[in-house]
Amino acid sequence: MLTLDLAKPGSKVRIVNIDGKGWVQRLYQMGLLPGSIAEVVANYGVGPIVLRVMGSEVALGRGIARRIIVEEVREG
Amino acid sequence: MKQITVAVAGQPNVGKSTLFNVLTGSRVLVANWPGVTVEKHEGFTEYKGYRIRFVDLPGVYGLSALTLEERISRSYILSGEADVLVALVDSTIPERTLYLPVQFLEMFKKVVIAYTKYDLAHELGLHVNLDHLEKRLGVPVVAVSARTGYGVSFLLDKIIEVTERGGRGDYLRVDYGELEPFINSIESKLSSCGSLSGYPLRWLSVRLLEGDAELASVVEEKCGSGIYKEVEEIRGEARRVVGSDLAAVASSKRFAFITSITRDSIVRLKLPQPTRSGSVFYNPLVGSALSILILLSIFMLAFIINTGFPLNVILSALGYQELAEAVEALSLSNLMSSALEWLQELARSHIESPVLASFISDGVIGGVASVLTFLPLIFIVVLIFSIVEDAGLLPRMAVGVSTLTSRIGLSGNVLFPITISMGCNVPGIFGARASLTSGERLRQILTLPLIPCQARLVVLLALATALKTLGGWLMVLLGYLTAFTFFAVLNYLLYKLSKDKEPVPEMLLEIPALHKPLGKVVWWMTWNNVKHFITKAGTIIFASSIIIWALVSLTPGLTYSEDASSSIAASLSRFLAPALYPFQITGGRAWIIVFGLLMGFIAKEVFISSVITVSGSPSFTEAISSIGLSDSQIVALGVFITLYMPCLATISAIYSETRSVKLTLLSIVLSIAVAYAASTAIYYLILVL
Repeated sequence: MLTLDLAKPGSKVRIVNIDGKGWVQRLYQMGLLPGSIAEVVANYGVGPIVLRVMGSEVALGRGIARRIIVEEVREG
Repeated sequence: MKQITVAVAGQPNVGKSTLFNVLTGSRVLVANWPGVTVEKHEGFTEYKGYRIRFVDLPGVYGLSALTLEERISRSYILSGEADVLVALVDSTIPERTLYLPVQFLEMFKKVVIAYTKYDLAHELGLHVNLDHLEKRLGVPVVAVSARTGYGVSFLLDKIIEVTERGGRGDYLRVDYGELEPFINSIESKLSSCGSLSGYPLRWLSVRLLEGDAELASVVEEKCGSGIYKEVEEIRGEARRVVGSDLAAVASSKRFAFITSITRDSIVRLKLPQPTRSGSVFYNPLVGSALSILILLSIFMLAFIINTGFPLNVILSALGYQELAEAVEALSLSNLMSSALEWLQELARSHIESPVLASFISDGVIGGVASVLTFLPLIFIVVLIFSIVEDAGLLPRMAVGVSTLTSRIGLSGNVLFPITISMGCNVPGIFGARASLTSGERLRQILTLPLIPCQARLVVLLALATALKTLGGWLMVLLGYLTAFTFFAVLNYLLYKLSKDKEPVPEMLLEIPALHKPLGKVVWWMTWNNVKHFITKAGTIIFASSIIIWALVSLTPGLTYSEDASSSIAASLSRFLAPALYPFQITGGRAWIIVFGLLMGFIAKEVFISSVITVSGSPSFTEAISSIGLSDSQIVALGVFITLYMPCLATISAIYSETRSVKLTLLSIVLSIAVAYAASTAIYYLILVL
């Protein structure tokens, strides 16, 4: 288990928990909610993190990413 | 002819604008949603004996009343004004984009679902079984492609069919699993309250359980605090039993419902998927460099076409003097000003009465000119902006620069309006539309006028020639530095002040796939924006130019005079002369500067010509020395002019974008305050040094 801002680019993660108010609803609407699986498209350590979820790419600020707990999903 | 109203809804990037354009042609009315500054587009078409009025609902991801746009969409559907709702699904992202239509189906029965970008889905190997979806959703499901026109008349047929025969018999029921007992008990509490007609009760119960504050206050108001408290108790109980965020559970149940119906109605062929291009922008270093490069190229291109600058300077520095002159002579602004001068001359030589001749040539033609001179630049900028936007490049560029801009509370999108504003603030303010939230858009609109435009560069350069000992380049640099510093500081402060009200303090942005821009969409977006400027800003600029003509050409006794120093404007300037006391500019001729500043309100570069005219000096440098300004006063004045007030066209743009007199006045007050603070500080700083 780790926070999303630490997830490696290219890895697949399953969202475990999201902690926040208001904007979490927007994440839910975009298909980012506990249980959903996302691919980390870009994470350079600074700047937004780009995820691919349900066939679309979403850029998330690091502050938001720090409040999302994920676990890595192994392929196969 | 019977008229029906059809609302069109869809998530951002599903191709709603494109389809709206195809459905309505270019017959579009732009207004505001009641009481708010969110644009409302309406278009009309006639089909099979019906006059169909299409209402474009704001692009939203869902209906949680999280944003203003979501509240608008929801209350519009609840109001019952729409006869039919067309809910769009992006065929290339068929699961996630069905979320919004599902939410609508829970509260509205007369729905037609349209799968957009159908041609693109085929290329990607995606096949949607429309009949199967139609059975599961209980409403007509059609496939359309705005690009090829496929399915559009079929969609219109289905709209008529739903109008005549009605939609679903009941609201869509999503299985909310462990939430069901709580939904049912809230629903039974609400059914005892008689004044909730118009609200689908099950939908209302689900929303209340999810913690919808807006609907909670509706229930408290209509049913009394007794029922409201009982609902709150059920919610508390549900939270204890379920043990996690109820909104998350409800959302995941909706997605589970979507998966259950799409699992056997969407077939994905294993075609080689095209690699998504454009991810190079995600690298903060490469991304910000590339984004700035693209913006600068747009900026350069727009300016070279419009004024020849800076290509003419580069060419003449390289020794191609004739080519440089040709570039300048053929620039749009030069061609237009030659044409207008010819017209003004024509008016002067053919009208005998000097008052009428002056009114026609300086007032009317001059007024039209001040509108027209902005047009080419706005047109070019908006055109390029539309191409970049329709191609999907803009969100990538925003990601690229966001590391830099997030420090002052702005998303990366702000780079675009800033760059444009360095040419002209007017299109820059229109560019603020790319903001992620309405709050950020407002902050941009309020602060963008601080960015020095080309006209202010011209004034700074002119003032620099009047300096005695200080270096001119230092003053120009100081002007730009001060402006950008205050832009950053003001944004930071406004951001800090508004922080509590903004639920999304950071970037949260969908990045659509890059695609080739569609000519008709680009043209439609461009024309809409330009038309908007001509009608809204144009009328204001034109009317004000005529008023200003009267102020400059009439004496306080209301007789016509060619001597501007005896005009109403001159008397006004004498009265306002104390405005320059902070820079210790006093004396009998100080009013000339005030006159220049008043005239500079039309357009900043008018400052130069008006100071020359009323001072009776042959050049600007002599005019300044005849007033007796010191170097520190000139520098302070330069900074003041850079910041003091948005010009008339910019104020018109602010008003037409915010449609709020209060905010327009606020931007004027803010810039005057900033101008005084900055220029007084610099004046005394130079004196001390």
